[in-house]
Amino acid sequence: MNKCFSLMKFLLIALLWPMIASAQDATNDPIIVGANIGNVPWEFQDTTGAFVGFEVDLVKEIAKRLNREIEILNVPFNGLFAAVQSGRIDMAISSIAITETRLSTVSFTQPYYDSDQSLTVRVGSGITSLNDLAGKIVAADTGATGDIWATENQQKYGFEEIRRYEGLAPAMLDLEIGRIAGYISDIPALQYYTKDKPHLQVAERIKTGGKYSLMLGKNSPLAIEANAIVTILKEEGFINALHEKWFGAPAEASTSTVLVVGMPAANDNLILDFVDTFLNKQVFLDTYPMLIMGLITTIQLGALSIITGLVLGLILALTRLYGLKPLQYTAKIYIDVFRSIPLLVLLIIIFYALPFVGLSLSPFYAAATALTIVSGAYTAEIFRAGIEAIPKGQFEASEALGLNYRHMMGDVILPQAIKIVIPPLTNNCINVIKDTALASVVAMPDLLKQATQAQAVAANPTPLIVAAVIYLMFLLPLVLWVSRLEVKFKVGDK
Amino acid sequence: MSTLIKLENISKHYGSFQALTDINLEVEEGEVICVIGPSGSGKSTMIRCINLLEQYDDNGTITVDDIVVQKGKNLREVRAEVGMVFQNFNLFPHLTILKNIMLAPMRTKGLSAADAKIKALELLNKVGIAEQADKYPAQLSGGQQQRVAIARALAMEPKALLFDEPTSALDPEMVGEVLDVIQGLANYGVTMIVVTHEMGFARKVADRVIFMDSGKIIEQGEPNDIFDSPKEIRTQNFLKAVLTH
Repeated sequence: MNKCFSLMKFLLIALLWPMIASAQDATNDPIIVGANIGNVPWEFQDTTGAFVGFEVDLVKEIAKRLNREIEILNVPFNGLFAAVQSGRIDMAISSIAITETRLSTVSFTQPYYDSDQSLTVRVGSGITSLNDLAGKIVAADTGATGDIWATENQQKYGFEEIRRYEGLAPAMLDLEIGRIAGYISDIPALQYYTKDKPHLQVAERIKTGGKYSLMLGKNSPLAIEANAIVTILKEEGFINALHEKWFGAPAEASTSTVLVVGMPAANDNLILDFVDTFLNKQVFLDTYPMLIMGLITTIQLGALSIITGLVLGLILALTRLYGLKPLQYTAKIYIDVFRSIPLLVLLIIIFYALPFVGLSLSPFYAAATALTIVSGAYTAEIFRAGIEAIPKGQFEASEALGLNYRHMMGDVILPQAIKIVIPPLTNNCINVIKDTALASVVAMPDLLKQATQAQAVAANPTPLIVAAVIYLMFLLPLVLWVSRLEVKFKVGDK
Repeated sequence: MSTLIKLENISKHYGSFQALTDINLEVEEGEVICVIGPSGSGKSTMIRCINLLEQYDDNGTITVDDIVVQKGKNLREVRAEVGMVFQNFNLFPHLTILKNIMLAPMRTKGLSAADAKIKALELLNKVGIAEQADKYPAQLSGGQQQRVAIARALAMEPKALLFDEPTSALDPEMVGEVLDVIQGLANYGVTMIVVTHEMGFARKVADRVIFMDSGKIIEQGEPNDIFDSPKEIRTQNFLKAVLTH
């Protein structure tokens, strides 16, 4: 394991050296702020599409006081950590709580909001507190405080499963459908969100004592400047005014929305050079088991989808070539349509729209269905090309010998076609396995999902890099095998 | 002797192009017919109609052993009775020589693998290449491949064999070995229709020679009559062209 780890470290540095060498900062450029847009009432889009919210107002004011322009980018919550660490954004907002772990890899300004977590449920679902959730599926945002809390308390409350979403909207959709029993997330956002939705309610406050703050790169000079402005804004009552604007009432005087407090001290347990950021050994050892579990899910999903896709593809190809005319057209339309639809769109339709017609698939089977449908269409074209590449004489000789259709295909045509289609089929398999990563949007714990979660919890991108290496170790041999086959079949017999 | 294959008013159109015009032909059991004529004269098309690799026009009828050759459940019965040997051999490249021959009897006649193998080896012996049984087609010469193709057709124990220019794709030095095998079959009493450009072979082996041009049978008769004293101008011109160079 150690040897393998050192090798990975070396490769990473070698690969990324040009990037490190050219890193630079320019103080006259706009401040780039990353925000998980949709996180009401902190940062979301109003009806004109403009970014608004408590934290949006706050960072705009800070930029103004620093005489800097500001640019806000929409970044998913769990992407914010890698984004500040790599310097791709200068600052992150999204009701991010200060934690000891996060402080070892990023800097925070002083907090400006005291929060807790909360349990949100459907009214009339019979669930009114955490104690009702034994054996039920609960949801949280990947790697967020709610996720961390739910993971730590899974045993205590007996949650059957924790599903991890990329933000409020998809989780709420599944809560309304009834796929999940409860959603654990920041209380202010959920109070704001459920305000005008009588069928949803915040059932219980979960005392986690999170303090929201602006997150910046480790030891970023901007952190100190921003922290000083936050002090001024608190003294001027500006931040409390924001509280009143967005929550309808001023904050209590004892909270960090009002009180000036010190900047949280960096946790210097780790020396953060480049390698420790992107390939941190401790993070690696802590998250390795999670990634292996993700890999198993990825392999299961990939294998199932590949096999069902092959069967479907063969049926479609034969129908398209030899079926009755109307069936031929149907097969052609199927193949053309599903090669044109982006897999992600199909996946979202299957997962979120089908429950409205009474078909509610689990994330695993929703993903397997979408992958099968699309893989079947591609496989059908591969098979068709393979069959059409068989010389006409082979069909004629089979017919002249009196073989029936089944024997002609099974004994003569397909065995020859398989050889032709193995390289493109293997390529398709590689694509299917890579596409399993899209399943993370329907809260399926595949390798990528596990890596993003681990990354957000540890506030360190190491798990993503490790996941990339796992994908590579897994798929590279297949890629090389295909190249060899292609060469072999080209030189070999016709 | 009774009629085995009968073509009545057979025409064939490819769109507006007429490949065959009113062909009438009766083939007796045990008869060996050689079909000669210029390229594009419809020779191959005619024999491909007999096992329905080509669909002939509606107004004619072909019967084999009194079964009408048409799409439907009788078609495979007809095809089992009429074997075909192609210009390009069309052996199955993914199967060994032995399996090429064993496949159809096992699949269509329900022969056991053991019986099919005994039969296949016997036929390979007959065409003189038993020692190649476990090789793949690509490892054999063209002449050897064509002899395998003949053995493959014979394995179905057909009543008639159709040969579609069986030596046209062969190097000249291999033509003889294939013609020898076909002649052996002729002596053995197998009914055959052979489309060929080998005039010497036709003269030697055929009971009847048919000369075709432009999709029509122009002239037919015993080999000596056709080759030595053709009546039709077109036959005379064709033979002059192919025999004198």
